[in-house]
Amino acid sequence: MKRIAIITLIITLFLAASAACAAPVNPRTMTFPPLKFQIPKSERIVMDNGITVYLLEDHELPVVSITAYIGVGSVYEPAGKTGLAGLTGAVMRSGGAIDLPPESMDSELEFMASSVESSIGTDVGNASMSCLKKNLDRTLQIFSRLLMAPAFREDRVELARKKTIEALRRENDNPKEVADRELNKAIYRGSQLGRHATIESVNAITRADMVSFHSSFFRPNNVILSIAGDFTRNEILEKLNRVFTGWKQERISFPPVALPGPELKPAVYLVQKDINQSVIRMGHLGIDKSNPDIYALRVMDFILGRGGFESRLMSEVRTSQGLAYNVESDFSIGRRYPGTFVAETETKAESTAKAIGLMKRIIAGMTERPVTETELRQAKDSIISSFIFGFTNTSSVVNQQAMLDYYGYPKGYLENYRGKIAAVAREDVLRVARKYLHPEKMILVVVGDGKKFDKPLSLFGEVREIKLKEGQ
Amino acid sequence: MKIMLRISLLVLYSSLLATLAFGEGLADKVKEHTLKNGMKLLMVERHNSPTVALWIRYKVGSVNERSDERGLAHMLEHMLFKGTKNIGTRNYAAEKPLLAGIEKTAQELMAEKLKRDKADKRKIETLSKRLASLEAEEDAYVLPNEFSQIYAKNGGSSLNAFTAKDTTAYMVSLPSNKLELWAALESDRMRNAVLRQFYTERNVVMEERRRSYDAEPSGKLWEDFLAAAFIAHPYGQPTIGWMSDIENLSRTKAESFLHRFYAPNNAVVAIIGDIDPQKTVALVEKYFASIPPGRQVPPVAVDEPKQNGERRIEVEGEAEPELLIGFHKPTLPSTDDYVFDVLDMLLADGRTSRLYKKLVLEKQLATDVSTDVAPGILYPNLFIISATPRSPHTVKEVEQAIYEEVERLKTEPVNQTELQRILNNLEAAEIHAMGSNGGLAYRLTEYEATAGTWRYFTEHRQRVAKVTPEDVIRVARKYLDRENRTVGIITKREKAQ
Repeated sequence: MKRIAIITLIITLFLAASAACAAPVNPRTMTFPPLKFQIPKSERIVMDNGITVYLLEDHELPVVSITAYIGVGSVYEPAGKTGLAGLTGAVMRSGGAIDLPPESMDSELEFMASSVESSIGTDVGNASMSCLKKNLDRTLQIFSRLLMAPAFREDRVELARKKTIEALRRENDNPKEVADRELNKAIYRGSQLGRHATIESVNAITRADMVSFHSSFFRPNNVILSIAGDFTRNEILEKLNRVFTGWKQERISFPPVALPGPELKPAVYLVQKDINQSVIRMGHLGIDKSNPDIYALRVMDFILGRGGFESRLMSEVRTSQGLAYNVESDFSIGRRYPGTFVAETETKAESTAKAIGLMKRIIAGMTERPVTETELRQAKDSIISSFIFGFTNTSSVVNQQAMLDYYGYPKGYLENYRGKIAAVAREDVLRVARKYLHPEKMILVVVGDGKKFDKPLSLFGEVREIKLKEGQ
Repeated sequence: MKIMLRISLLVLYSSLLATLAFGEGLADKVKEHTLKNGMKLLMVERHNSPTVALWIRYKVGSVNERSDERGLAHMLEHMLFKGTKNIGTRNYAAEKPLLAGIEKTAQELMAEKLKRDKADKRKIETLSKRLASLEAEEDAYVLPNEFSQIYAKNGGSSLNAFTAKDTTAYMVSLPSNKLELWAALESDRMRNAVLRQFYTERNVVMEERRRSYDAEPSGKLWEDFLAAAFIAHPYGQPTIGWMSDIENLSRTKAESFLHRFYAPNNAVVAIIGDIDPQKTVALVEKYFASIPPGRQVPPVAVDEPKQNGERRIEVEGEAEPELLIGFHKPTLPSTDDYVFDVLDMLLADGRTSRLYKKLVLEKQLATDVSTDVAPGILYPNLFIISATPRSPHTVKEVEQAIYEEVERLKTEPVNQTELQRILNNLEAAEIHAMGSNGGLAYRLTEYEATAGTWRYFTEHRQRVAKVTPEDVIRVARKYLDRENRTVGIITKREKAQ
């Protein structure tokens, strides 16, 4: 046995030696064969009752998934009822349907291992289902009842209210959530976008409010369905026609949404918490997708703080100075309403002012000098060559196309995206940084232990303290 | 890099089983190849998009650290993104002597600081300044983040890594025409890693610790809870390390740990997506075959002694109450492990599960309840029930209600519908798991590295199907009792007004 071991060893060494002699490959300059890729296309159909459907067949696995996009959102909540949209979205599922009590809905779905869920966010409502092909008929039927005929059973309304109140009570437990919330409220002050539910507003919501909120917006002409999986086109359309029969179209009147004024008001907020690491958020109001500068902004944001390890914020604050684990920026382009620019980090209490000052200088730096040619190339190459990862599975392909339709993106948006990014020049990056970044007018929110900061926050402006109160 | 300290076994277990049809389908699709140096390669061809998911999972985790090495597997997770002798440097030959100077100074500094009250403050100051100036000198040679930059500009997506108790994994997805880039970068990383900028990165890890544990009451609870549940086995020590552990990690220790364990024979590689398996084998052979094998990771020798009575811990914080209850249990290949998979789904998987129905819907004592198996699977672990009490109900009420349900398990047999629901859900989870390159890579490497074979993916459900109502009663009686449990709670600190 020993002899065999030795022989094996010699062979291994020999192999190692011969391979090591091969010329080393340099990953910096490697070249690759071209990649064949075309954006997969789904089919768009408008049903007789007004539902818009996006379809893409995929027979790899025996599963079907459907996502509905409904024109609804918390921006349409009446004053004093903040939280109504979220609660309605939750109870549509948890309260069962008028002809199927929640207990039966739960046990039927879970026995089939099907999932059906619903939720309402700021500017969109979603309902989704996913099931094995063999359970499609029954799952689709339940899914349709949830959309068309939710029961909002009284006990489930109360249960959802209690859960929401408990979640509100717990909101201040997590310092990062506190900072995110306070910055969002401050940036969108005066707009529905900056509202936040309180125990009082949640207690003011009635079952009748939910029923009326649902029936005002959940209409076939206000719904887009995105469907992917193991079915054939005609078969699924026939099933959809059957389950959504009798769902009546209705003209929908969308309440007006007040947008925050364009004037930026800088401010400094401190939330005192007894913790050894400060949560830092800074930012201001941004823009929406109708702006032609969104491509240059995407590249600018990538270089500043969105592009992972390569970004300026990450390289400086984390890699070089070791001040933080997480540091990034996000110039989010609003799909329907203006988005926000936010830069964030967390650092030990003793380096709070240092990190804030450094981040502000890095942000300001974007407006002072053009980015380097290397930075520009790195950003554009990264964005363009990772584009295909938006299309790795059929349901994300269909969902993406349905969502572009829902938010009214221009035709050819996806097809032209890489070309538009490729056309961005250094001057464009500087121009949009100067136009849309306002480092001197940011709102700064810090959650932390003020006594332990390296320098007082008043360095950055007049400090206003936010006192945390439970559920307010 | 994100770390997943709490590898969710819920995810793991709910995906373990395969339907007969699909399990067999997958069994046909997985291609295996083992290199002469012991590196195991698993491949699945999927041409849904021109992309490929690439995972390297080492069979080493925080459980393999000695007491003066706590936090090293995770520290290495950060350091292995700092480049090699070829990447991340302008001139390694010139950089190398500076690295040695940095190391010597950093070690002297740590030694002086460890004298604590007797330390010489002036010496600490001098050494700190010297360290900073040497680091600045070295920085002139460093190309920061070049490793991730090369991936990014080539379309790399989901570049990441995580450290768990049993294993550590490094992953990226690439457009499939760039598979060779992965082979070139990763074989260089396996062979030539240079742990440059170690002491700056150590500060980053301390910030990560503050972010996830010190300033996060639920993170603190988790850490203290595990430390109480395991008094001897390293499953009780935090993967990230205690703060003072991190403060005393050195590059020398990290290199020793790296060279001891991060070798091809301890690696499981998954390449899933738009590939030609034959060509892929040739490519992997070309780049990795010449890397010499290292020693096998030795098993952890210590056994957790049998618990002698209930243990309770409390974390006071600026946070609302939370509750964790953990029971010691055996792990694979014990058949009882499969019974726990049934218990897991029976008690808290979904709106019809027993604890959800009782605590959330009927008594309305809690807003959430869940179960999990943690913190690892190579060694005997814990079955954990966690719950979020709903005010004004107390942790005590919730705890009592959980025990009532647990007692029910010991007397009333579960019914066939409940068992069938569990099997149906395992079947569906398996099928869904096959729909993503990254998801498959995660599971195949996880099972290969911990259960000993990726085939666990297709075998698990068959094993669960054999669990009987009598098994559930027997296992509940054997493990779910007072003297075998650890209870952890968060109590809200009362502030003096």
